[in-house]
Amino acid sequence: MADKNIRTVTDVICPFCGTLCDDLEVDIDNKEEKIVEVRNGCQIGTKKYFSSNPSVHRYDKPLIKDNGSYKAISWDEAIDKAADILIKAKRPLLYGFSSTECDAQGKGVELAELLGGILDNTASVCHGPSLLAIQDVGAPTSTLGEYKNRADLVVFWGSNPVHAHPRHLGRYSDFIRGYFRKDGSNDRFIVVVDPRNTHTAQLADMYIQLNPSEDYELINAIRAMLRGVELEGDEISGVPKKIIIELVNALKSCNYGVIFFGMGLTQTLSHHRNIDAAICLVRELNDHTKFLLTPMRGHYNVAGANQVFTWQTGYSYSIDFSRGYPRYNPGEFSSVDLLMRDEIDASLIVASDPASNFPAAAVKNMFKYPLISIEPHHTPTSVNADIILPPAIAGIECEGTAYRMDSVPLRLRKVKDAPGDCLTDKEILERLVEAVKKKKGE
Amino acid sequence: MVDIKLKLKKAPEFPLEADVITPDQFAGKSAAQIKKLIVYHGNEEKTLGEFFDVTGNGSEVNDIKIIIDGDLSNVKRIGEKMTGGEIIVNGNVGMHVGSKMSGGKILVNGNADDWAGAMLNGGELEITGNAGNYVGAAYRGYWKGMQNGVIKVKGKIGNEALSWVTGSKPGNRFPTLLCGSAGSFLGVHSHGGTIIVEGDCDRCIGADQVRGTIVVKGKINRILPSFKKIGEVKEIELMNGEKIKGNFIEYSGDHSVEKNHSKIDKKTGNISNSSNGRLYVAA
Ligand code: SF4
Repeated sequence: MADKNIRTVTDVICPFCGTLCDDLEVDIDNKEEKIVEVRNGCQIGTKKYFSSNPSVHRYDKPLIKDNGSYKAISWDEAIDKAADILIKAKRPLLYGFSSTECDAQGKGVELAELLGGILDNTASVCHGPSLLAIQDVGAPTSTLGEYKNRADLVVFWGSNPVHAHPRHLGRYSDFIRGYFRKDGSNDRFIVVVDPRNTHTAQLADMYIQLNPSEDYELINAIRAMLRGVELEGDEISGVPKKIIIELVNALKSCNYGVIFFGMGLTQTLSHHRNIDAAICLVRELNDHTKFLLTPMRGHYNVAGANQVFTWQTGYSYSIDFSRGYPRYNPGEFSSVDLLMRDEIDASLIVASDPASNFPAAAVKNMFKYPLISIEPHHTPTSVNADIILPPAIAGIECEGTAYRMDSVPLRLRKVKDAPGDCLTDKEILERLVEAVKKKKGE
Repeated sequence: MVDIKLKLKKAPEFPLEADVITPDQFAGKSAAQIKKLIVYHGNEEKTLGEFFDVTGNGSEVNDIKIIIDGDLSNVKRIGEKMTGGEIIVNGNVGMHVGSKMSGGKILVNGNADDWAGAMLNGGELEITGNAGNYVGAAYRGYWKGMQNGVIKVKGKIGNEALSWVTGSKPGNRFPTLLCGSAGSFLGVHSHGGTIIVEGDCDRCIGADQVRGTIVVKGKINRILPSFKKIGEVKEIELMNGEKIKGNFIEYSGDHSVEKNHSKIDKKTGNISNSSNGRLYVAA
């Protein structure tokens, strides 16, 4: 019997990780406007839905820091104060944008341009190196549906989907039956390359344990071997030569292969050069068979942030508007580097939590100057902000567009209303843009 | 030569973008006019005169010698795109010094930050101290980095120096880097660069090198598996015909790249004997 107090929304897109599962079912209590059940989602995605319910961890009014504690203020006042901070700053940083929808990201670009500030998204600390490598050597890639239907060799290099993208294996890369892979898992050969024996590694048909931070040398050796070069020595990067030969044979003899790579490749020693080499490897493998690669994007819409920034400014992250036009140079204009050098004099953090994953020295410098946080929950960043602007959570409390890790755009759904006075990220940024324009007399 | 002297009045609060400090911009201008040139401080436009005392008037580009005193470690882009004349910096200097320059000479009596001489296309950049990452490198996404000229760094340099460097024997272009010691990925994706390191290097030297010569007179932390040892040599001939004497071990590579010019003959297994794609390490 259907409960009259409960409504169910189906085909919901999960706004948590880059897998963007599109089959969730969410039950909402009509009276209390609370989520009571989530079906099909994995544990981390489900948690995000429950976290949207009103709780002590959720903001529902704009807050301003006043003598060490927070007091509630009206939206008009909050926007006015925030705009003042941003206009006064000579080098404001606008960072985050990866856990919100594309329209809000577009407004972020507009605001950064108006302010002559720095615009950056979380790719700066995750797959930024992949983007650098792609700019250097291109990237042969495909959509996840293709892999599901065709891939018979799947390599996870420095990525651990069992924990970071729990339904990836079930929906696209391993267990799922595909058009040409009728027997699911049995029709696929799974290779995991990782210094740690992760839970994904334990599912693999072939697990290659290499020394930490020596991925570049291993890829280099595989590439050389593919070109028929005899390698010297018995092992490379801690992997016996015999196993490398086995791996090369497996890579060459599959019908359709794919490499899914993660932080283990982008954020260890060699960074973008690891990806550069991996892309070149894939390119060379296409002399023998069909081979592609795809980054395992973390935040559900970090791929969208890259897309939106790119089509609006020409660059995907680390963008500087200080001279009135967009310029791009990770290392010079990337958030962590700017904060480490203490070059920022105010920050606006949108839909992300740099305080919990930037280096301590960078966070310290960020906290020295005015900080505005557009954030639904208590996080290490928001609890240190001077002004907190509470948004509705995109994909749960408002609609929008998000890009999956393979850059396929999907339309997010609204399942319930936001608590209290929350506005959407887009509305908040729009109001900031208007306020800044007015104050600057534009 | 006429001297134009610049002295930093106060350290900038934010990085100062002073790409106007070049003989090209100063040419034909009086000190008063030079002071009015635009620099960028944070998101504000300022004038050069707000940060520097300026004495001397500009003449012809090639006759101008700019002498700058003060700690310029937060001043970026000095000498960017210059085509002639001379700049002497007495002190440390910020990012992008001499980037994209195509003629003239820059001497830094101190250390330089990242991107020193990036995409240099002629002229000479000399740094008496250390330099940061990406010395003479290609900017993001460019397939041609340094194409001509010389960079000399007395001390150590960071990672990825001379990435995507492109030289050419028929074109008579020999982009060259001389340095004390180097970080990793020196000459990555080189297409004909000449690199001479007096001391030691970190890992992945010459990664993805298609053509070019790298000479390391010290040690390399780890030589890439795709480099093939050829044997010992007593003399090295550089791309521009100059010779270096000493005991070196010769490697050919990078053999993981398809277009590597030092091909391995499929039948005989011999490595073709050209000066391209070589790494020499002191024996
Ligand atoms: S795998 Fe990712 S997108 Fe799918 S339900 Fe889990 S968190 Fe959500």
